[in-house]
Amino acid sequence: MSWKYFELLALGAGVTAIISALAIVFGLAIAVPIAAASLARNRLLHRLGRSYISFFRGVPLLVQLMLLYYLLPGISINLPNTATAVVGLALCTAAYQAENLRGGFLNVAPGLVEAARMVGLGDRQILLHIRLPIAFRLVLPAIVNEAILILKSSSLVSVVGVSELTRMAQNLSTSTFKPLDMYTMAGLLYLLLNWSIAAGGLGLERALHWGRR
Amino acid sequence: MTDLTGRAAGPEVGSVALRIEGLSKTFGEHTVLKNVDLAVRHGVVTCLLGPSGSGKSTLLRCMAFLEEHDAGIITVYGEPLGFAPKPDGGRQRLPNAQVARVRRAIGMVFQQFNLWPHMTALGNVSEALKRVRGLSRREAEARAMSVLRRVDLADRAYHYPSQLSGGQQQRVAIARALAMEPRIMLFDEPTSSLDPELTGEVLSVMRHLAQEGMTMVVVTHEIGFAAQVASDVAFLDKGEILLRGLAKEIFAKPWHPRLADFLETYLDRGAAVLV
Amino acid sequence: MSLDLDLMIHSIPAALRGAGITVVMWIGGGLVAFAIGFLVALARRYGGRWVRWGLAGPIEILRGTPFLIQLFLLYYGGPFIGLRLEPYEAGFLGTSIYGAAYFSEIIRAGFEAVPRGHVEAATVLGLTRTQTVARILVPEMTLLILPSSINMMIVLLKETAVLSIITVPELTLVVTAIGSAHFAFVEALLLLALVYWGIVEAASALGRGLEAGLARYRMV
Repeated sequence: MSWKYFELLALGAGVTAIISALAIVFGLAIAVPIAAASLARNRLLHRLGRSYISFFRGVPLLVQLMLLYYLLPGISINLPNTATAVVGLALCTAAYQAENLRGGFLNVAPGLVEAARMVGLGDRQILLHIRLPIAFRLVLPAIVNEAILILKSSSLVSVVGVSELTRMAQNLSTSTFKPLDMYTMAGLLYLLLNWSIAAGGLGLERALHWGRR
Repeated sequence: MTDLTGRAAGPEVGSVALRIEGLSKTFGEHTVLKNVDLAVRHGVVTCLLGPSGSGKSTLLRCMAFLEEHDAGIITVYGEPLGFAPKPDGGRQRLPNAQVARVRRAIGMVFQQFNLWPHMTALGNVSEALKRVRGLSRREAEARAMSVLRRVDLADRAYHYPSQLSGGQQQRVAIARALAMEPRIMLFDEPTSSLDPELTGEVLSVMRHLAQEGMTMVVVTHEIGFAAQVASDVAFLDKGEILLRGLAKEIFAKPWHPRLADFLETYLDRGAAVLV
Repeated sequence: MSLDLDLMIHSIPAALRGAGITVVMWIGGGLVAFAIGFLVALARRYGGRWVRWGLAGPIEILRGTPFLIQLFLLYYGGPFIGLRLEPYEAGFLGTSIYGAAYFSEIIRAGFEAVPRGHVEAATVLGLTRTQTVARILVPEMTLLILPSSINMMIVLLKETAVLSIITVPELTLVVTAIGSAHFAFVEALLLLALVYWGIVEAASALGRGLEAGLARYRMV
C-alpha cells in the first residue's frame, strides 16, 4: 500500500467527514420544526410532520439521492454535486432526528413539568429551561448513533458524483487493480471516523453528567 | 385585590384558607371525587387519609389545579381557583393568568420529588426565584441558600439530585416550594417513595413547618404523623369524605367502621402508637 | 414532465421481475441473516472467552463500515481471493452477512433482556441447559426482539436498493434503467420512491399488528 494512495483516500475521508458533519447539523436544524409539527395539536401540522418522517424513512436513501440529483435541475436549481449530496443526506437524516427528538420530548417526566408549574414558571420558561435541556440529554445517544449512520450512508453519494471516500476507493481500485487493498483501507478509514464520533459522543455525555459517573 | 404572597398581617389562625364546595372529578367513566366539601383552616395542618383509590391525591391535585375539577368551586383566601361561580348557578372557566396568580399562594411537594435532574439543589431552589420573581442570580442563590439551611441541606447545595438520597431530594423539593413563600403547602404522600429510614428526616422538616404556623394539607399514610401533627383530619373513601373533624377527636374514637378498618390495617403495619 | 402511461404499462413485466429479485434478496437474505445472527449470538453467549472475542471484531467491522464498501469487497475484491461471484450471489451473500452482524446484536440484547430470574427458576426446577434455552430463553427472547427485528427487516429492504450499484437486477436497477432509456428519470424515480414507501409502510403496519397481537404474552 503506497503512501500516495493512502493520502488520496485520506482526502476522500476528509470530504466524507465534512459532508457528514454538514448533513448532521442541517438535518438537526430541519428536524426541530418537523418534530414540533409532529407534536402539534393542529391536525394539519401534525399530519405534515408525520408524513415527512414517514416518507424520508420509507424510501431508500439511494433513491432519494438520485431523485434529488435529477429533480433539482428540472426545477431550475443547479447545485454542485456536493451540495446536492449534503441536502439529500440532511433531508433524510432530519426524518430520523425528528423521530428521536419527538421521543425524547415525550419522555420528559410529566411530574417535572408539574413541579415547574407549581413554582410559577410559565409555559415558555418551562419549554426552554426544563423540557428542552432534559429532552436533549435524553436524545444525545440517539443523535450520536444517527451521526454514525450518516457517515456510513454518505458512501452512497459516490453515485451522484461526489469525490468522497468510497468514490476515491473505487477510482483507485480500478486504476491499480487492487480492489482488496483499496476497499479494505477505505473500510478502516470509515471505522476510524466512526470511532471518533462515538468517542466524541461519549465525551459530550460525560460533560452533561448531572452528577452521574 | 388580595395579596396572595404576603404573610405579615395575615388571617387569623383557624379562619378558612382554602374552601372546597361541591367538588366532583371524573376520569373517563370513573368518578373519582363525588360532591366533596372541605374547609382547610389557616395556620394548621389538615391531613387527608384514606385507602388507595379513595381520591385523596386527586383532591389535593385539584387544590393545586393540576387537575381541573369538573364541578364545584375552590376558593383560596377568598379568590376562586380555575372556575368562578356565575349568578345563574353555573361556572365560568377563568383565564390561565388568573389561575397562575392564585396558584402563587400554593406550594406543592410531590411523592416522586420531581427535582429537575439537570440542576443542582441550589439550582432547583433558585430557578423560580430567578425566572418568576426576576431576582438576580446572586440574590436568588442567596435566598435559596437560606431556605436550604432551613431544611438542613446547605452543605449539599451544589449536588445534583442523582447524588442525593431520597430523603435529601424530598427536603430539597420542600425547600424549592418554600422559596416562593407560599401561604399554603400541599404534600402529596411525601414519604411514600422513601425507604423507611429516610422518612424521619422529611417528617421532621414537616413538623417544624407546622410548628412555625404554615397552613399545610398533607395526604399521607403516616398515621403516627397525622395523629401527632395534624389539627384537622378528613377521611376519604371511594371519592367521598366520610369523616372530618379535629384530629384528636377522630383518632380517639374512630367510630366509622371504614375508618376503624383503615386504621387497623395501618397500625398493623407498624405505624407509631397513637397518642 | 409528462407521464407516459403506455410506457409504464409496458414496463410492468420488467418491473415485476425486478421486484421479485428485491423480495428474494430482502426476505431470503433477511432470513439467512437472522439464522446466522442467531447462531452467532448463541456462540457469543455460550462459546467461551475466545469465541466471544473472536466474533466481536468482525461484528464491529460489519456494523461500522458502509454496506456498499462490503459489497465492493465481495464483488470486486472476491476474485483476488478466489471468490468469483455473480452480482446476485454477491448481493445475497453481502446482505446475509451484513444483516447477520446486526441481528446478532439484536438477539444478544434480547437474551440479556430476559429476566435472569426466569432462567434461574427453570434451572432450579431441574431443566437442563438445552431445555432452558429452548423452552424458556428463546421464546421469551423472540417476543422481546420482535420490534427491533421488524425494524431491521425494513432497514434491509431499503438496503437492497444499494445492490443496484453492483448491478444486481433488483427493482431500483430495473426502474432506473427504464427511466434512463426513455429520459424519464424523475418519473421513474418518483414511482420507485412511492413503491418503496408503500411497501415499507405496509411492513411497518404489519409489524405493529404483530406486536399488538402478541402483546398478551408480554410481562407488563
